[in-house]
Amino acid sequence: MNKPKSNVTLDTSGKSCPMPMVDINRAIHELNSGEILEFIATDQGTKMDIPSWCERTGNQLLSSSEDNNTFRYFILKS
Amino acid sequence: MKTMAIIVRDDGYDKILTPLAFAYFAASEGVQVDMLFVNWAVLALTEDGARALKIDGAHADQDALVRERVAAAGLPNDINTLLKALKETGNVNFYACSLAATLFGVDEDNIIPEATGITGAAWFINDKADKADHCQYF
Repeated sequence: MNKPKSNVTLDTSGKSCPMPMVDINRAIHELNSGEILEFIATDQGTKMDIPSWCERTGNQLLSSSEDNNTFRYFILKS
Repeated sequence: MKTMAIIVRDDGYDKILTPLAFAYFAASEGVQVDMLFVNWAVLALTEDGARALKIDGAHADQDALVRERVAAAGLPNDINTLLKALKETGNVNFYACSLAATLFGVDEDNIIPEATGITGAAWFINDKADKADHCQYF
């Protein structure tokens, strides 16, 4: 599957809860509706946090993947 | 969830990190967070008190290591700076319990400017905790 084309990439590698979520809340605020955020994290907690956050905030999780303990999410801002 | 009330009692460096981390996350998502500092934790609302916070008890020897890891996690690793970061979200209010302030020496002269003020616990419980969507106690 091709990766969605993102407008902005936010790399939180190395950071732990709550900072990836604090950072993503800041980043999504800067995007316009319809734009895509590529979110990279190494915090295992994001595996549950991001789908839950998308559901709660109405943003759409387009895809998620894991490679060598790095998690990559593509999120469409609602 | 739109509102959250947190009552913080423990003043160990490690023990105060969790409520501050939860508040930071919630505030970043737009939740209004009101925090009441009671007992010894009220000292965190002073510059000297925040600076003096240490890990107590069985884990006391790991204070420096934990601070190093907190910084690596992306959080400010001193409590005063963390309180400032929470305040900058615009969604967090800090209150000092008036009884705790009296008992442990916090007043209008030494309370940090980020704190909303010294308040009665009855007011906080009735006007903040009882009306909040979610309440936590630490």
